[in-house]
Amino acid sequence: MDRREFLRQVGLWSAGLSLSVPHFRICEALAMENKSSMLSYATGKDYADLVDRVLSSLGGMGKFVRPGDKVVIKPNIGWDRNPAQAANTHPQVVKTLVERALDAGAREVKVFDRSCNEQRRCYVNSGIQDAVGEIKDKRVKFFHPDDRKYVPVDIERGKAVRRLEIYRDALEADSYINVPVAKHHSLSRLTMGIKNSMGVLGGSRGAMHHDLGQKLADLATVVQPKLTVIDATRILLANGPQGGDLNDVKVLDTIVASADPVAADAYTTTLFGLKPEEIQSTVAAHAMGLGEMDLAKIRVVKA
Amino acid sequence: MINIKKIPLFYWRRLSQLVGLGLFFFLFVNTDYAGRDELEYAVNILFRVDPLLALCASVAAGFFIILLLPAAGTLLLTIIFGRFFCGWACPLGTLLDGCHQLVPSLGLGRERRYRALKFYLLGFLLIGAWFGLPMAGYFDPFSILVRSLALAVDPALNSLATTFFTFTYQEAPGWVNGLTEPLYDFLKATILPFHQKYYELAILSLAILLLIFFLERLERRFFCRNICPLGGLFAVTAGFSFLRGRTGSKCGKCRNCRDVCRMGAIDEERNISSLDCNLCLDCIHHCPGNKISFKFERLQKKRPVFNLSRRSFVGALALGAALPFFLKSRTMARQADPLLIRPPGALPEDDFVGRCVRCGECMKVCIGNGLQPAFLQAGVEGMFSPVLKARTGYCEYNCTLCGQVCPSGAIKKLTPEEKKKVKIGNACFDKNRCLPHAKGIPCIVCEEHCPTPDKAIKFREAVVENSRGEKVAVKQPYLVDELCVGCGICETRCPLPGASAVIVTSAGESRDPAQALPGQGYA
Repeated sequence: MDRREFLRQVGLWSAGLSLSVPHFRICEALAMENKSSMLSYATGKDYADLVDRVLSSLGGMGKFVRPGDKVVIKPNIGWDRNPAQAANTHPQVVKTLVERALDAGAREVKVFDRSCNEQRRCYVNSGIQDAVGEIKDKRVKFFHPDDRKYVPVDIERGKAVRRLEIYRDALEADSYINVPVAKHHSLSRLTMGIKNSMGVLGGSRGAMHHDLGQKLADLATVVQPKLTVIDATRILLANGPQGGDLNDVKVLDTIVASADPVAADAYTTTLFGLKPEEIQSTVAAHAMGLGEMDLAKIRVVKA
Repeated sequence: MINIKKIPLFYWRRLSQLVGLGLFFFLFVNTDYAGRDELEYAVNILFRVDPLLALCASVAAGFFIILLLPAAGTLLLTIIFGRFFCGWACPLGTLLDGCHQLVPSLGLGRERRYRALKFYLLGFLLIGAWFGLPMAGYFDPFSILVRSLALAVDPALNSLATTFFTFTYQEAPGWVNGLTEPLYDFLKATILPFHQKYYELAILSLAILLLIFFLERLERRFFCRNICPLGGLFAVTAGFSFLRGRTGSKCGKCRNCRDVCRMGAIDEERNISSLDCNLCLDCIHHCPGNKISFKFERLQKKRPVFNLSRRSFVGALALGAALPFFLKSRTMARQADPLLIRPPGALPEDDFVGRCVRCGECMKVCIGNGLQPAFLQAGVEGMFSPVLKARTGYCEYNCTLCGQVCPSGAIKKLTPEEKKKVKIGNACFDKNRCLPHAKGIPCIVCEEHCPTPDKAIKFREAVVENSRGEKVAVKQPYLVDELCVGCGICETRCPLPGASAVIVTSAGESRDPAQALPGQGYA
């Protein structure tokens, strides 16, 4: 099944015309494209500039967003915490990415997350609502997920989950850009790009925790970002994923970006003094051929 | 040009009613988080101008509650204008008037037998408030109205809208969605609540309101004439009011005024009783001889007749004074229900129940859908008071809205910093059900959600045998009592089906030193 057929099925399914649940099997093809993984990182105090630098070293936003594309930018807005507390993606990073996607000619740019705390409080307290609101462009759609738009998707290659409810816009996007914040998480040790995809899941997400690493890799087979931009401008070292204590926050002023979601997570892990092999979701996603985790095989560029 | 003086007076009354109702719904819809920690409007103002609740809550508290000072203004205006509030402002009265055509009354409305009920009730409620049987909120018209709107109507409306627009979204062709989706967005942005909420006692709250509408079958404004204790209080005050209606002493036999009077305030001799008249001014319009007028008078020629039976009134007072002592014979007088978790900032239990006016505002505004109306777990006198039911919803860590909307200060208004220091309960684990403890399955969703900066839920690494006999390493959660605030998000989010494996009880709540946990001491 190709992408077009898949979208047709999603359309039919959500229109109630088809009872069969759509499949998604284009990920192998995508994985093949990433012959050598390239990763870019930049450090500095001007976060908008950091975003621009990593983007240009990866070939510019035009490589990921083509004119007329429907773009989804998926930050982490999971918690009712302010930017300094490092629980959500930094608003400046999100804002700059949205602007660059618009500059690249996107038809629309959707920004959303399914938060854990009360949604409106998260959107406001994260600073992302204000930051994205400053962009006066009708193509930007910043909204709370709509419960009607989660579609059940069969995870064909799933080893630990066979079916998940996934937000329709994330599936239909021409370009899905993942913008997590890198932080501590007790169960998965760290939460970065692959974990951030949980924000497009519907239903009860608690069950993901029983075998989290593999289930996240299974999810990564269907939610495939064209670009992962990891916000490590400040990282949370303990009491994650919510934090709340500024003593647990370390300012790194760093942004990591790659088209390879596994490579992005693998490299970012080292910023915490950990090895990529210590993160189960990285190991599982690599084993499924979703990307490269061997730092020696990743071409790291300082932008 | 319209000559303002020629507009019949009752049009002004209708305008006032509509504006009042509009304002009421505006404040009701805005009893919600709006992007700021502080609410922008005094959404609880209706309850703060209510002298019945002000009196009863103050009597229970033992001092005058300053928050309820606006109610004194309402009483002052009543001394001048009589029961104008019932006719010109009360949102329940306006709704009853509005539904008059839908629920036509059978009676002629001259039944006077039940008129005194509201005075007995008023006496009973005041005495009860003093002796510890605070039940004014059961009968107060605003409490009944807002409670039933918040607990039943609002969620039902949202559910209806969701069902309809989900149907159109999934089944209707594109051009229909081109119309319905913008409409849905508009409704969500204006009148629909942000969340679908779920409430205990939704049906009971609705039934009480519907009963009031059903009583319209007996006579117009049956509730207002006979039952409403707030109307009773206004009537007592209106007995001294300056503005009075006068009819012609020598008019003919038409009795039009008696027939149109919605309060049954006009007797056979066409005297307008200031105890009942709500100044709707319909009679002026219907009098063929233009003999009815409303004028300010310094002294009254005729004292209004209360028609109270002294025996019944004393009986009502005696009942209100005696009943509270029976409350002491219940087990809960010795040991409160351990699941009776009160909102953060709630006063100690007796003060809390005494001052809580059962308005439902805190439950409406609770963004975690954690606050639920109590049924009998707080006793017969505690019904509809707010309780945290942590399996359905939780207390959002940074939110202080319930204390902001409470009109009587039963829930103190706290700053976010103060709130985070308040402990409303304590979580405890059921290790027989908790997955890492009982089954060796990794989980710790509770730990992930625990909101305190230094997490109250921590974990220990342990190697256990799972149900297949394999040795597995898991993280087993445990609680640090000193850090837990009792918000209940762990219980809400516990992914086990059915009952949660982590349960919050009122143990250790900071408002009651007797509930101190071991090691907590009497701080």
